[in-house]
Amino acid sequence: MSESNPTTNPLDLSFVDQVVEAQGRRPEAVIPILQAIQAHWRYLPPEALERVCALTEITPAAITGVSTFYMQFRHRPVGRHIIHVCHGTACHVKGAALIHEALARRLRLADGKDTDAEGLFTVEKVACLGCCTLAPVVQIDGVTYGRLTPTTVPEAIDDFLRRRDAPARETRRPVVFDGEPVGEIRIGLGSCCVAQGSGKVREAIDRVLAETRAAAVVKRVGCVGMCHQTPLVEIVSASGTSKLYAKVTPESVAPVVLKHFRPRGLARRLGYRAVGWLDRLLTDEPGNPVVRHAIDPREGPVCAFLGPQRHLATEYCGRLDPTDLDEYLRHDGFKALQRSLEYSPQQIIDEVEASGLRGRGGAGFPTAKKWAAVREAPGEPKYIVCNGDEGDPGAFMDRMLLESFPYRIIEGMAIAARAVGAEEGVFYIRAEYPLAVERITEAMRECEKRGLLGDSVMGQPGRLRLSLKQGAGAFVCGEETALLASIEGRRGMPRLRPPYPAQNGLGGKPTLVNNVETYALLPWIFRHGAGQFAALGTAKSKGTKVFALAGKVRRGGLIEVPMGVTVRQIVDEIGGGVAEGRRFKAVQVGGPSGGCVPAELADTTVDYEALSEVGAIMGSGGLVVLDDSDCMVDIARYFLEFTQDQSCGKCTFCRIGTRRMLDILARICEGRGKSGDLGELEELAVMVKAGSICGLGKTAPNPVLSTLRYFREEYEAHLAGRCPAGRCKALVRYRITDDCIGCTLCAQRCPVDAISMTPYVQHRIDLDKCTRCDTCRQVCPADAVIVESEQVARP
Amino acid sequence: MPTIRIDNKTIDVPPGGTILDGARRLGIDVPTLCFLDGLTPSTSCLACMVKLRGEGRLVPSCATTAVDGMDVESETDEVHRVRRAALQLLLSDHLGDCLAPCQRTCPAGMDIPLMLRQIADGRPAEAIVTVKRDIALPAVLGRVCPAPCEKGCRRAKADAAVAIRELKRHVADVDLALENPYQPECRPASGKRVAILGAGPTGLAAAWHLARQGHAAMLLDRNAIAGGRLRTEFTPDDLPQAVLDAEIGLILRLGAELRPNTAIDDSTVFDDLRKRFDAVLVACGAAAKEQAGRWGLAVAERGVRVDRGTFQTGLPGVFAAGGAIRGKCLVVRSVADGKEAAVAIDRFLMGRPPEAEHPFSVRIKHVTAAALATMLATASGASRREPDAGFGPWTLAEAAGEAARCLHCDCRDQEGCKLRRYAAAYRADASRYGSADREFREVRAASGVVYEPGKCIDCGLCIQIAARSTDSLGLTFVGRGFDVRVGVPFDRSLDEALGELAAECVEACPTGALCFVERSDQESARRPP
Repeated sequence: MSESNPTTNPLDLSFVDQVVEAQGRRPEAVIPILQAIQAHWRYLPPEALERVCALTEITPAAITGVSTFYMQFRHRPVGRHIIHVCHGTACHVKGAALIHEALARRLRLADGKDTDAEGLFTVEKVACLGCCTLAPVVQIDGVTYGRLTPTTVPEAIDDFLRRRDAPARETRRPVVFDGEPVGEIRIGLGSCCVAQGSGKVREAIDRVLAETRAAAVVKRVGCVGMCHQTPLVEIVSASGTSKLYAKVTPESVAPVVLKHFRPRGLARRLGYRAVGWLDRLLTDEPGNPVVRHAIDPREGPVCAFLGPQRHLATEYCGRLDPTDLDEYLRHDGFKALQRSLEYSPQQIIDEVEASGLRGRGGAGFPTAKKWAAVREAPGEPKYIVCNGDEGDPGAFMDRMLLESFPYRIIEGMAIAARAVGAEEGVFYIRAEYPLAVERITEAMRECEKRGLLGDSVMGQPGRLRLSLKQGAGAFVCGEETALLASIEGRRGMPRLRPPYPAQNGLGGKPTLVNNVETYALLPWIFRHGAGQFAALGTAKSKGTKVFALAGKVRRGGLIEVPMGVTVRQIVDEIGGGVAEGRRFKAVQVGGPSGGCVPAELADTTVDYEALSEVGAIMGSGGLVVLDDSDCMVDIARYFLEFTQDQSCGKCTFCRIGTRRMLDILARICEGRGKSGDLGELEELAVMVKAGSICGLGKTAPNPVLSTLRYFREEYEAHLAGRCPAGRCKALVRYRITDDCIGCTLCAQRCPVDAISMTPYVQHRIDLDKCTRCDTCRQVCPADAVIVESEQVARP
Repeated sequence: MPTIRIDNKTIDVPPGGTILDGARRLGIDVPTLCFLDGLTPSTSCLACMVKLRGEGRLVPSCATTAVDGMDVESETDEVHRVRRAALQLLLSDHLGDCLAPCQRTCPAGMDIPLMLRQIADGRPAEAIVTVKRDIALPAVLGRVCPAPCEKGCRRAKADAAVAIRELKRHVADVDLALENPYQPECRPASGKRVAILGAGPTGLAAAWHLARQGHAAMLLDRNAIAGGRLRTEFTPDDLPQAVLDAEIGLILRLGAELRPNTAIDDSTVFDDLRKRFDAVLVACGAAAKEQAGRWGLAVAERGVRVDRGTFQTGLPGVFAAGGAIRGKCLVVRSVADGKEAAVAIDRFLMGRPPEAEHPFSVRIKHVTAAALATMLATASGASRREPDAGFGPWTLAEAAGEAARCLHCDCRDQEGCKLRRYAAAYRADASRYGSADREFREVRAASGVVYEPGKCIDCGLCIQIAARSTDSLGLTFVGRGFDVRVGVPFDRSLDEALGELAAECVEACPTGALCFVERSDQESARRPP
């Protein structure tokens, strides 16, 4: 196993000693210890692991079992830079596989290898980076590149190498003002905003302000939700009027800032005017380039996007600095907790019951009922856990909430802790969300510092201590019993329920596990009253639900809508429908546990029962819109591939059953399907659903069953050798039509030389060489490359 | 003490007990693979599923605490379907051969690897017992059989098949040369009488097996001597008279009676036979097809029409086998038919339901070069020994040398394997969901334990047991999902992992994944003679 290099010295294991000193010697420290070791060496050297066992109570069996269970951990040395290729749902439907192939070509990866020959880059597949609106996305050492195409992949690599080699930028200098009224420039800095370039925009704003000494402060705010408009800058003048600028680039920052804030000193003013005038002259743009970016929240698309939304969990979105506690307090922060302190625990539970709140993690279990169970369960101490292990591909609601509203979630947890009688709470947040981890950590520290939490709660008797554990890359840890196993430093294997965590949770004690969004809704409920919350929504589904809207929709983003709106309203009004020329086909709701709502059922309301009736589920809130270019068999295969890969491997039905289902789906997609396959698939799906122990296995067949239910004819077309959407590589071919102008661009770009260089002659594709990478179609200036899927002759 | 109902029967379960406890108290054989008393249920195999009637939910009975008033279904079609699916899924990822390929290709299903081990170990007296369990005429077949078993032999992929037929002949000849050749013990006389029409290979084999079962078998043959086509199809060089006579002699000595020169040409004689005997077996070869009409038997394309599983003709108590139903067939097929028909007749005579019994087996579909190298590592490297013309029969040492070339593809835990046992009981189709496509691997420990990851079903029992040891490393699951496998931490040895708990782990393993290399202890437990 060890890949010790004879030329390198033995590892200096004193680092392991320091890590153990910091993390402790108990078995539950194993994951943090492994994370620290990997952060240090970028993989887990076996000698370091043996050293851990020598120093701690962690056994060799435990460290081996744990370190091979979680995807985060690597047992082999890797290249100097890690490229994460996102294979989330949105990225998948936008061609992640083609991006992955393009990377492999650019880096000349040998077959089956993930690291290039020079050891510079290692390419890893990740389930979802949660930047769905930027799909397809890759992340190179934390730098995110979005909206890639196979042709822009090399550019991204080159850009990364340029940045890496560029000298470090000078750090920001604080700007000092002298008494003039001050305006505010707000910029969203959630991780997806940063990925979309907000970081660079912020640097540009700082630079402009430093140079012009304009009277404005820059404020980092949480997610605005309008991912399709990012980078988004809001300028609030001293008088309080506000203006939004969408898709701001670093170059357009200066005119935007100068439109609202005057530079100080005549020379600077003149200089900047001249620059602006020059700009216009050179770019030949009519009028003021600033106008192009300005959007008005009360008009047009923005209004439609925001219109049906109600911001409860995301209250004040885009206006608060996520970690500014004072600002949170000024916006009624901790008033709900204050109020709940006046209630008895039973009254708190009664209030939640009156609100009709149901768990937002997916299954929709009545929150008050869960709380009552924990409260009544014998055993002390009791624990409270925040499930922030959002791992569904295509979902990023919890990340956004954690990044943008850390205090609100902490406040919600404090209310719940009081209701169930817990004095200790744990955040479990996946390691793929570093910014969420950072902000929650900072917010917890701030709350303790101010005496809001800790040995007393807002000065009242009763204590609440919060801590944070990071996940390590296992979707199944979103299941509560697996999550608890992971917190305890074990492999994240779900166990049979009952007993439920309410009776037998952390350390065998009663434990409340709720989802991030559930906690985030509590402050609103306790400030406005259960009645107001219950007034929103449908008979059985109350309040609002946050969704990540992505896929083939014009305006993707993070949205919060009252229960009871229709799927169509979300797609058409908020999302602006699918792209021109495309037909809306279905919405995939609930990710790998969910199903598809076909276009003809788009009037289905967002409601736990209504969605499950049509074969979907509310799930945690991923909404991926699909159009006629998406193959439903491919979608089913995609999700099953995900759950199959994420199975913990315990139960027969999930471990082997999902694999056998995938075998069938894979051969259908490859045109090797057999006549009895659909019946076989359906039967197996029913068995896996009925026979699995935990939620992952029980819901894994849903995407298959739901697509079989609504799109059976697509499956049958595949059996006949045809992919109607033209997605399944084995069933399509590329052809160049008469529209070809003979420009040779496709021939130049074809990575496998399947197109010969014949200038001014209609090009032809050698189908035997063609890998269906789509590059030719994308580069063709005459749209002469088409994808066909006729009855392909079977081998 | 909670009282629950299982399949409409009421049972008290001790407090804290499970549904499985209740089922066992009721004597219901709920399949369990990953469960062992005294260990934490891992709910991994899910073969023990039952249905909760009230909730309509399926739950693993091993880990579901019995709650007063629970109403449970266990032995219903629906529950059995789910259990069968679980077993079939496990089988689809279970890499191994219950029965060796040679045994599976032998029409008589002879336990060839066991015979080869007995020869290799210099125990010919045991080898003849193994042979005669399935083959009544081994000295004959050792000379005339085209040896389909050798076509199945995996050793052929490396160099050449083990000389199985020659070794069988060796075993039979050594036995026949004894003053008292081997004769099995017969069951006490049942008082039942069976008439066998035709004393060819089928009839002789049937007579042998019926005699062993305690039934009085009478062979009726139109010829003056027994042997049927064995007398006409082979030259004396291929099959010396003396050999044939000797083996027929043993059959008759075991208790079968021969009526030579007896033709049953008309229906009244046939009907009379049916009256006088408890069963009749038509075993007169291809000629039976012409006679059948006269006896009131229906014919199919090739011979007398029978139920292929039970050899029963349309007439109650009348069976047919061998050339009589197949037209032309190999002698070994006739001998096998004779045995199987005898088993079917025995069931009929003893009033047990007719049932075709085919031993259950999974199989390794593709053997890679690497897998073959692993398998070859512990076998003799000698090349195949052919009979040396003119130099007389093999010595015991020569036979042992050839037998040592066997790769022993058969599973060490054939009889103890719970997966196999329940797969057979639930009539699981081993390839319903495809066959395992893992690489064959084998890890041998100095302590004599052998671990075959391909056969592991991830039940985790050995991990739980090994964790109890204070001075060994223990075992762990390595990886997750479909590729999860039991492994030793830090890639250390199996000995370091198991320590003093090795025997307990082997005992707990529900399949042949963990076994002792040495098979001798277990083999006496294989099918009773």
